[in-house]
Amino acid sequence: MSDAPRVGGTPGGGDASGGGAGPGPRGDWVAWLERRLNLTETFSFLTHFGLVWTPVDTSRPVREVVREVASQPVPAYARWPRVLGLLAAILFGLEVVTGVLLAYYYRPTPEAAFESTRTIVRDLPFGWFIHQLHGWGAWLLVIVVAARLLRLFWDGLYRAPREVLWWSAVAMAWLVLQSDFTGRLLTWDSRSYWAAVRGMEVVFALPVVGPLLAFLLGGRVINDDVLIRFYALHMLVLPAGFAFFLYLTFATLRRVGLSPEAPMHRGAATTLRDHLYSMLILSVLLFGVLTTLAVLAPFRFQAAADPYSTPTGVRPPWYMLAPYAVIENGPGPSWLLGLLLLAVAFAVLLLPLWAPRAAGGRALGRMRLWGLCALAAWTALSVLGAFMERR
Amino acid sequence: MRRAPFVLLLLSAATAALAQPGSQRPATSPPPTASAAAGRCGVCHPSERVQFERSTHAQEEVRCVSCHGGDDRSLAQAVAHGAGFLGRPRRDDVPRLCSSCHSDEGKMRAYNLPVDQYALYQTSGHGRRLAKGDMQVAVCSDCHGAHDILPRSDPASRVFPLNIPRTCGRCHGGNASAAGRRGKPDDHREYLSSVHAHELFDRGNPRAPTCVSCHGVHGAAPPTVGDVDKVCGHCHTAERRYFTAGPHREGMIAAGLPECVSCHGHHDTSATQPQRLASLCATCHGGKSKQVTLGAKMWTEYQAAATQIEQAAALIERADAVPIQTDDYRARLEEARTYLREALPAAHAVHEETVTGLTTRARSVGAEVASEIYGNLGHLQSRKLVLVVFWFYVLLTVVVLRRFQSRAARKD
Repeated sequence: MSDAPRVGGTPGGGDASGGGAGPGPRGDWVAWLERRLNLTETFSFLTHFGLVWTPVDTSRPVREVVREVASQPVPAYARWPRVLGLLAAILFGLEVVTGVLLAYYYRPTPEAAFESTRTIVRDLPFGWFIHQLHGWGAWLLVIVVAARLLRLFWDGLYRAPREVLWWSAVAMAWLVLQSDFTGRLLTWDSRSYWAAVRGMEVVFALPVVGPLLAFLLGGRVINDDVLIRFYALHMLVLPAGFAFFLYLTFATLRRVGLSPEAPMHRGAATTLRDHLYSMLILSVLLFGVLTTLAVLAPFRFQAAADPYSTPTGVRPPWYMLAPYAVIENGPGPSWLLGLLLLAVAFAVLLLPLWAPRAAGGRALGRMRLWGLCALAAWTALSVLGAFMERR
Repeated sequence: MRRAPFVLLLLSAATAALAQPGSQRPATSPPPTASAAAGRCGVCHPSERVQFERSTHAQEEVRCVSCHGGDDRSLAQAVAHGAGFLGRPRRDDVPRLCSSCHSDEGKMRAYNLPVDQYALYQTSGHGRRLAKGDMQVAVCSDCHGAHDILPRSDPASRVFPLNIPRTCGRCHGGNASAAGRRGKPDDHREYLSSVHAHELFDRGNPRAPTCVSCHGVHGAAPPTVGDVDKVCGHCHTAERRYFTAGPHREGMIAAGLPECVSCHGHHDTSATQPQRLASLCATCHGGKSKQVTLGAKMWTEYQAAATQIEQAAALIERADAVPIQTDDYRARLEEARTYLREALPAAHAVHEETVTGLTTRARSVGAEVASEIYGNLGHLQSRKLVLVVFWFYVLLTVVVLRRFQSRAARKD
């Protein structure tokens, strides 16, 4: 009985004004969805996150808004070679996707970690590919984040009003290194295990930080407790932190821009649509490069970790070689060396506070010189750490 | 009665001496003048008492007087060394004295000890020479000790497996002072350089053969020609089976050559050396004889199979680094190794088909595993070909996206 009046009525329901025809002849699903959902508001999430520069009027239809936003001019500097931040964001997305796929099979206990990793790499279809993509993606991410830090330093983007940008970049670099370090241990093979042991020796030698970390990890031994804590850090805490600082970067960029030398609307500005196409092309090429690396230079699979036998020549990961060299072979007691390392780390973080405020070219040049000296020293120490014998 | 004050003096002096700090006994528990095991004998014979009370006999119902006679309740020498006193037993009396208990099944049953030692001893080289009046040969106490007898399972015992070479070596070793001992003075030293001694001392395997494993325990006598292969065959069963099936046993016995040891050495038996297949035959057979040729051929076959297995094992390592599933290959390679291992005992039959049958199987399994892994590794190479196709599509996608991009730019 109740269905009877509907037989002759409009199929889509008669409550919407003028839109009763349902999906139109061209399959206008956007219009169909927009009657049921404020798409513009959903879209404005992107603007809030920082990908889009302008605020969006959520009362307007979404097609109109997207068309307008896509035609927005984008500063020309948002192109090659100032693309490192974008690469970091894309790589982070790739790491999240491949990491989730790996987490479906990975089991974080010393007994099962190696076995489950081997299952992923050896027995699952395309498991090796996901694993290699994750590993090489991490490699590139570390490189990109480090390069981005250098480039921000080179252009003096730590000075007011871009302190937050600098702090975010330092935090992101730190988080990426932490992710890399914790992720290395998870495969629980002999090389990763002993690299983690050597790396933690450096961290535990730091004053205050070392004991605190030992307390949080439950000891100075790399065992099952450390493995599950590294796993939680690697897949929950550190990515969440990275996403937060990514957001902070976008947020501060919308306020202060990326470069004082090239303000918003100077030079050959492109549109956002053009910019998104470039981003897409970049992603495709990046995927190609990663696939090539995964196939031509796959990470070798090592034997399972044995805490009772140390392979020869184990060292911490490459980015920890410089502090390793200082702690292991530096003159003086290790707490003093640790204090020195902490001082250097804080000097980098608090660069905006002690760097000269003047925007003059001479001050910037002097800072660049200091930076080059520091980089040379760091490289020399890394080389030393890579070849030295343990005391 | 005139002696009583002297004995009392001695008693108090002994007590004081034993009670002093730094003496053998802790000062807090001065020993009673009479103990269950030693009675009062220890008052005059303290060092014997100390040894005896550590022994396994002291914990059972054996007392000083069980072997030495006399009366252990008296401190008066005339009484203590009185009726039934035997004193120090003569060497040729020792075996009979021990057997008075140890051949008594009624006494030994509770300890689950054998009672045939005395009978065995009488058949041994030691026992027969003792019967002829040679007072220098070993009697029970030479190997087991006199007062400080410990069970075989006690590492401090002279007859604990790890201590047996030293115990025998006291007489039969290079340092044995008395002349007329059987065996070369180097036997003990040669044993120490053998694979058996390596297994016993360096790897701590108490089941490794010592002197007594081949020469016998209480019935110790060197194995004679015709018995050697039986003795070695206790442990080396497969070798003996092949050896007795071959022509060597009969021939060697006829020629008066002891089996096994003629090729492997007496006491300085070394670990397996398959390469000796190629050289050792020539020591008895002529340099160009067919036996020497056969030996060389067996060695070649063995080598070829071993090389093939090594190669397959190296490929498995490579496959593990990829990684490729290798559990099946490992199992099959273990099978090949078993064939190869069997080829060495089989060589004792000195029969060509027996050996080559095993080495050929080992080699073919190894080759099969190797070729299958090669196939799988080659399969990985095809990924590189796929990469070319992949890049074609990547570049195609980039080109298409560029087209879209430039069209969009024109529209703007």
